[in-house]
Amino acid sequence: MREAAATLDIQAIIHHQRNRFPVLLIDRVIAFDPGKSATAIKCFTYNEWFFPGHFEDDPNVPGFVQIESLAQTFIMSFLCIEEYQGMKTSFVSIDNVKFKRKIVPGDVLTIEASLDSFKRGVAKGSVRSTVDGQAACSGDFVVAVPAILDRFKPRT
Amino acid sequence: MSSAEKYDAAFIETFLLEPKDLAALKYQEVESWDSVGHMALIAALEEAFAIELDIDDIIEFSSYEAGKAILSKYDVKIEPV
Repeated sequence: MREAAATLDIQAIIHHQRNRFPVLLIDRVIAFDPGKSATAIKCFTYNEWFFPGHFEDDPNVPGFVQIESLAQTFIMSFLCIEEYQGMKTSFVSIDNVKFKRKIVPGDVLTIEASLDSFKRGVAKGSVRSTVDGQAACSGDFVVAVPAILDRFKPRT
Repeated sequence: MSSAEKYDAAFIETFLLEPKDLAALKYQEVESWDSVGHMALIAALEEAFAIELDIDDIIEFSSYEAGKAILSKYDVKIEPV
């Protein structure tokens, strides 16, 4: 059981979710309430693999990376529950995505995820992120846990 | 909206089908009725009829027709429109 910890460092994140380099896109979970919420940070440095290509003369974090960072924070809201830790997840839908601020090397993205429901392997919720208190990226997520969905598959 | 109309609407809106496609519809016969689609359908039906299906009934819910019999256990009668 790791729920009692106030934060989850990178080793604990790896223990709870399956994303790995180069697509593990959160550095630390700084707060979490299992089954309800999770807050994480991602520190972007110039050494990130995507900055040379996006863009050489204007390095900034691609939208898909921001979305993935939000999703990885969101899934920690339920993968921090012992029963589900380490399970693989997949996107069902992403709605109402907004990008408010360019994110550049040196920025620390703070991501707050709220889990509205988690039922039969389908998680629904909303996620917002900020840099220095300024709104960055936000969206509403629906994520599935295939291993749980399989328990409810019809007999054919 | 009648129970039958609500029932059909759950399938049509979840799987993006036409009414004519429903009668013989079975799990995995259309791409959208996969394991994720199945949970979406169950959620839509539970919301439409204010019920909560048991796990065994979710697993037995393998076709449009089978679903009608299952819902009858929850006092939801799907009468022909």
